[in-house]
Amino acid sequence: MRDPDVAPNAVADERARRFETGLSRAGLGLVPKLGRRAGDALLARLLRLLADRHPRAFAALREMADARVLIEPVDAPVALLMRVGPQLSLHAVPRGAGGVGDAGAADAVVRGPYARLLDLLEGRIDGDALFFRRELAISGDTALILALRNTLDGEEEMDLVADAASIAGPLARVLPVLRRNAGPVLDRIEAARRLLPPPLRRGIERVEARIAGTLPDTLPDKRA
Amino acid sequence: MDNFELICPAGTPAALRAAVDAGADAVYLGFRDETNARNFPGLNFTRQDVADSVDYAHARRVEVYVAINTYPQAGNLGPWQKAVDDAARLKVDAVIMADPGLLAYAAKRHPDLRLHLSVQASAANVEAIRLYRDAFGVRRVVLPRVLTVPEIAKLNAEIDIETEVFVFGGLCPMAEGRCSLSSYATGLSPNKQGVCSPASHVRYEQRGGALASTLGGFTINVFGEGEQAGYPTLCKGRFVAGDGPAYLFEEPTSLNAMDLLPELKAAGVRALKIEGRQRGKAYIAAVVRAYREALETFAAGRPVPHIDLQAMVEGGTQTTGAYTRAWR
Ligand code: SF4
Repeated sequence: MRDPDVAPNAVADERARRFETGLSRAGLGLVPKLGRRAGDALLARLLRLLADRHPRAFAALREMADARVLIEPVDAPVALLMRVGPQLSLHAVPRGAGGVGDAGAADAVVRGPYARLLDLLEGRIDGDALFFRRELAISGDTALILALRNTLDGEEEMDLVADAASIAGPLARVLPVLRRNAGPVLDRIEAARRLLPPPLRRGIERVEARIAGTLPDTLPDKRA
Repeated sequence: MDNFELICPAGTPAALRAAVDAGADAVYLGFRDETNARNFPGLNFTRQDVADSVDYAHARRVEVYVAINTYPQAGNLGPWQKAVDDAARLKVDAVIMADPGLLAYAAKRHPDLRLHLSVQASAANVEAIRLYRDAFGVRRVVLPRVLTVPEIAKLNAEIDIETEVFVFGGLCPMAEGRCSLSSYATGLSPNKQGVCSPASHVRYEQRGGALASTLGGFTINVFGEGEQAGYPTLCKGRFVAGDGPAYLFEEPTSLNAMDLLPELKAAGVRALKIEGRQRGKAYIAAVVRAYREALETFAAGRPVPHIDLQAMVEGGTQTTGAYTRAWR
């Protein structure tokens, strides 16, 4: 249900955000399809870019003791394994690959809906509140997760979607336009979809689902 | 009528900017070590961070306080004294301290530095507060969260320094600075190492559909499916005693005294403090904004609106704490 008091702008923003979230999740889903080396190279580039834009946070991440945190979106096919410490790195791993305690796997795991994890990484949302509401689950080394959270939260406005888009070539040019026009563009896409004959419409939905990694955009909101 | 001062927490420079932008009158913070009572991984300020933050805040006419409120270790005063010297050098507006030795050091070395008495000193009676004023020139006392509003009013009538009280956030229900629960379970305490129930000793375990929180190997709580989770702070544990599990010390609720602004004003309170240096900037922005709005409304003589902060609090429930109830 949408709150009638929410300004139309906020509604448009929220739709745009959902769209971006879906898009970036789809992007993440594609990383392993590039093959391990190309995928890792792409993520390394993303990390370098982020380090340039957020030097304070990345210096702090490198100062941490060597450890691995698995960031696992429950509604995406891929999880991210982040190694903090002097050998800072980021890898995409198939979801469910390694839990805490497995050989060579993560020291700690953060698990939750992709959209929430993205909000959290960008510092848009309060992680403690999410955890209290059980929308996020954590296991393993709690101090490590806290250190990571505090370090990222101490950073001014991260814009991971834009940063990720900027290493993905053409998307970089499209994203600002998309953001400015998100409302109308989404309306047009919706309208066009309604005009399509049903078999084609279902075909498109299947393709979208495949790209986005199968599941719905977010898990049902527990507070509703 | 002078409005209350709104004193807001920050664990990182980004959180400080969020608090300033949301309407804080002063922001309190700590250095990145055991000299302050929120010595959490990844949190707090380097000296350079403090310098930058002071610039940012002062340019917007907001003050910065530095908490140096743990008790120095015997034979190792260095880090604490250096923290005081650096705070003075960085031109912060006040330091918040608890240890008498450190207060004496600050009063002697930096006579112009404004001293506030930390809640960690647990000064809750007239004689204690007068002693800190007379001996060290303390200008403000942060009252422990064990007093009722009538007790605060009585106290304020008898002392001539400012009082600051907590109005929002996690509750430390004991006489602060004197709780040893965390030391017992983990060997680390808020009073010496600056951490209560430290994350290094915390584990969460899935037990069937339930989520168990443990501290130093002790199970502190088990949350059923769909039940709000909480951090395993020892005093907020659900322990089995007698008939079954119960919150023996304190429920995991959060303080929210927004409804008590008129009473706190009548009781002579000068400043209102929000807890939560360990929380993210989204929390800080939301809570500070809500309190700023409430204070403006109150100052204008209109009834204080009810602003919903439920989503922000641990335990998902709010209480007015000791302010309106007799201590058990
Ligand atoms: S265990 Fe509770 S009462 Fe004791 S110091 Fe920690 S928060 Fe305060």
